Amino acid sequence: MKIWRLSLFNLKKNRREAIGIAFLTLVTTLMLSIAVSNHTKINTAFDDSFRLSGSVNTCIRFYKQKYHDAFRTILEKEYKVERLQEGHLIYADMTDVRTRDGDVVAYNMIFVTEKVERKIESFKKGDQLPSSEMEKLEHPIWLPSSFEIVKGYVPGDSFTILKSGKEYPFTVAGFYETGLMSNDGGSFKIVVTEGDYDLFATVFQSTSSAECVGLFFDAGDDFDYEEYVNQCIEAASENVSLSMTRYCYQYEKYNAVTFLEIFMMMIICLALVTFVASLFLIRHKISNDIEDQMQQIGVLEALGYRSKEISLAYLYEYVLAGGSGAVLGGILNILITPVVNFGIRMMLGRNVVGTDGIFGVILVTLLVILVVVLFALLKARQVKNYPPVIALRKGIRTHHFGKNVLPLERYRGNVNLGLALKGFVGNAKSFVGVMICIVAAGTAILFSALTFVFFKDDAKGLLSMMGEDTETIRVHLMSGVHPEQVKEELLKLPEVRKVVITHEGTNVSVKGTSNDAYVTVFDDFANAEQIKAFEGRCPERADEIMIGLRRSRDEGIGVGDAMVLELNGIEKKYIVTGVIGSLHNGGSTVFMTKEGYERLNYHARAGMLIVYPEKGVELKDLEAAVTKRLGGTAKDAIGENLEAGDLETKIQAAAEEKIATLLMQYGVTDVDYAVQVGDQLITGNSRGFVVREITSYEGIIKTQMIPIARMTKGFTLAALILISVIVAVILYLITSGDVRRQRQSLGIMKGLGYSSRDLMTQIALKQMPVSLVGILIASVCAYFINQIFWAVLFATVAETKWLVIILMDLALAAFCYVVTYLSAGKIKKISVNELMTE
Amino acid sequence: MASSILKTEKLCKSFSNGGLQQHVIKNLDLEILEGDFTVIMGSSGSGKSTLLYALSGMDKPNMGRILFDGKEIQNFSNDELAVFRRGNCGFVFQSVYLLDNQTVLDNVLTGALIVQKNSAELVSKAKALLKKTGLHEEDFKKYPNQLSGGEAQRVGIVRAIINDPKILFADEPTGQLNSASSKDVLNIFSEVHKNGQSIVMVTHDLKTALRATRVLYLRDGGIVGDYRMPVYGEDDLKERRNGLTKFLEDMGW
Repeated sequence: MKIWRLSLFNLKKNRREAIGIAFLTLVTTLMLSIAVSNHTKINTAFDDSFRLSGSVNTCIRFYKQKYHDAFRTILEKEYKVERLQEGHLIYADMTDVRTRDGDVVAYNMIFVTEKVERKIESFKKGDQLPSSEMEKLEHPIWLPSSFEIVKGYVPGDSFTILKSGKEYPFTVAGFYETGLMSNDGGSFKIVVTEGDYDLFATVFQSTSSAECVGLFFDAGDDFDYEEYVNQCIEAASENVSLSMTRYCYQYEKYNAVTFLEIFMMMIICLALVTFVASLFLIRHKISNDIEDQMQQIGVLEALGYRSKEISLAYLYEYVLAGGSGAVLGGILNILITPVVNFGIRMMLGRNVVGTDGIFGVILVTLLVILVVVLFALLKARQVKNYPPVIALRKGIRTHHFGKNVLPLERYRGNVNLGLALKGFVGNAKSFVGVMICIVAAGTAILFSALTFVFFKDDAKGLLSMMGEDTETIRVHLMSGVHPEQVKEELLKLPEVRKVVITHEGTNVSVKGTSNDAYVTVFDDFANAEQIKAFEGRCPERADEIMIGLRRSRDEGIGVGDAMVLELNGIEKKYIVTGVIGSLHNGGSTVFMTKEGYERLNYHARAGMLIVYPEKGVELKDLEAAVTKRLGGTAKDAIGENLEAGDLETKIQAAAEEKIATLLMQYGVTDVDYAVQVGDQLITGNSRGFVVREITSYEGIIKTQMIPIARMTKGFTLAALILISVIVAVILYLITSGDVRRQRQSLGIMKGLGYSSRDLMTQIALKQMPVSLVGILIASVCAYFINQIFWAVLFATVAETKWLVIILMDLALAAFCYVVTYLSAGKIKKISVNELMTE
Repeated sequence: MASSILKTEKLCKSFSNGGLQQHVIKNLDLEILEGDFTVIMGSSGSGKSTLLYALSGMDKPNMGRILFDGKEIQNFSNDELAVFRRGNCGFVFQSVYLLDNQTVLDNVLTGALIVQKNSAELVSKAKALLKKTGLHEEDFKKYPNQLSGGEAQRVGIVRAIINDPKILFADEPTGQLNSASSKDVLNIFSEVHKNGQSIVMVTHDLKTALRATRVLYLRDGGIVGDYRMPVYGEDDLKERRNGLTKFLEDMGW
């Protein structure tokens, strides 16, 4: 007899288990190969897209009024930069856009003319309107191709920019490949006509949104941005670091691929969990098979087969099952390449082509097969421990000479539980592999569940990690308005729960780094609701400061260290009292008291109110209530309808709009006017405005957080389902193998009057100690992985949702019980007689 | 006159083998009386064990009725049959079928605990029965593979009678034992029977059959002979053997 015939026989006999193992190796290979082959693809796709655009690799933007020609000279003389060009552009900070669906979202945008665009890159156009239609357009606009890929725009769509109460309607002329400035995390570069550019140059004239000068060039390896900033400061004789922003290939790529790479890492983790489970399952099964077929082994050995040859029978069986799964996984990966390419294209916002990565698929497939072979071989070798005499006696290990654990004589509880516990304790060692599988899979399930629950309400979870009180609106008051009085007014509103008076945040320089800081000020941090130090404490004195975890990690500073901040030439030293997990402004925010901020900014006055809604009140309703109470904002007054009313009303309305424009766009604080119309003198002033502007985090939530939240939620839900299926397969394989091995015992028990349900209960209960301990260990692992995940990737501290962990533990335990119980169901189909005489 | 405890009407049992239907029990009518020690004999393949398993609710018939203590059991589901077996039937098998991973005492208690709550009385009863069969206190903690065939079968008998079943079924209980062990085991059966236990036993061994009060002879799935004897020990053994031998010879044994 050829020994492989035994393998084929076993495979045929246990085909469901073979299919189960093939499924696990298929999933492993599929996920691993997706991660490995696409890791390269993500990077090459970005690089290809960047190359195709013909873009320079760096752009430095300076606010026009702070720009000096010397800045360009430094680049020319000090650094070996290539393709250096200069051009004007307009930076629009978080500006509202009415999308093609009518929804209002906010983007950071950079407007350039075609002439400037061609200085940055080739302006390679993609889909566009026919030239006949294009000629008819009054306000054409060219968007980066990511608007077509990710946001679903098509040529001819409307794209309306909303600024200071006015609407600027555009029509999408087409899309173009762009290297720099094409992502939600940074800015979108948008090409407009020269006429529209000139218009925007007058519209965007605030501190943050204004016309800029851009230097576009290919930086070499010797280019050191921090050094360049210092050289610019020296050349300008003032701190211009807050007025300059860099866009470069590295940041663009980081913003584009990081999230995808996190997904790939998660896929690899899932694949490894599945792989570990498969390997231990194979070990467990080979061990059981050998025990099960001990007499057969004895007979074969007695007939002259060497133990090595018999081992090969087990090896072939698992190599055939696992190997076919691995090969199918590899093939499946190649088949779903277009789908994966589509997913990457959507997430990258860039076109992805090609099927490169086949080498990775083959490599992973071979690796999986190799590891399966090694594992199976190591376990199958145990056949040599059973010479014929021992094997024919079913192996010495099946003889029990040891202590009788949990004797029934002393047991007083439910008989099924008693027998289950006895069965478990008697075979505890054989459950080690199962435990490892449950720990690995349980950890992945719990981590996925924690992440899913975190993103359950879309961006709500991320908002809680902002390190800011995000569930609020911010009322920016007009100059001269008394904040205490407004606070008293607002507190009378039923929609308002709390009002805190504070300073508006601003950017300041941090000595020794180009990483500027955004300052958040609170009179007393006890009034803040989402600003909690996870290390140290919040600042209490004027010379104290709290920093974000990312800054602490990147710059190596912590509690007790000093840092020097600079604003408008004033430098002040602060002592770090605490570190906070903060996503806001990429973790660059610093927190200080009112007195602390006033040390740096003598003229600062608290002119902003943070308004907290009552429970259940939506932010938009709160904003409406506040607006109703305090009157319209200066921002909203611009562009109001001037058609209605008599001449005096019209003049007053026009005057108020002009005042609003002066207040909003030119930093004017007080305006008085008088207009002589015939004999009539019409007068007024800016004191009618209480509120300059009302802001919230809505824009950032819609454009940056919700897409990430929804994608992660979808991914973790899919992972949750997939791993649950894997756990079910593992438990099914173990249980059905258990039932097969114990057929005779189960038959005897049935003969004694135990019903199928009793026996299924016993089998399910026997598995429970392993499941419970495994789940408990998995909970601890998931807790730490969750902490590490948020700390490493987002530099923030995850709140531990113990209730979720406990509920998931219970659900997982119930799931394990039910799956094991149902998997043992084949007992039902077999009569007592058959079971015993099998 | 003893009352009927088990009755079959037109009982049929067949097996399908490679598409061929093999009829093992054919329209069999039978009545077992309370307190009887009934032995079923017949040549190999005559359907003895099949009949025993059908009678005891271990297997389901294809057709016909089985009335156990007046209750029809042939349409019971597997779980209903399991519950039925708990209180009503005890089993002793040729291969004993002790649970390998349990001690002697635990094997007995496993059979008992599905019917009764664990108590000191139950444990005492189990130990007393084991002692009665000749096992010693030190044997109670032994595992099946540490017992001789005869010792194992004694444990099997105690496990079968611990719940005081209405009928004790036995399938060639001495089939794998040497003559000394067989005799010990049969003595236990006789003892149990004298205490009023109804027994239905399948055997092909004359010495075993001598212990019965009734011998049924099975051929081609039907009962072709029914022979009655007094309770073992109440008559002359030689005469008993001669009578049974003649009956069996008449049956073509």
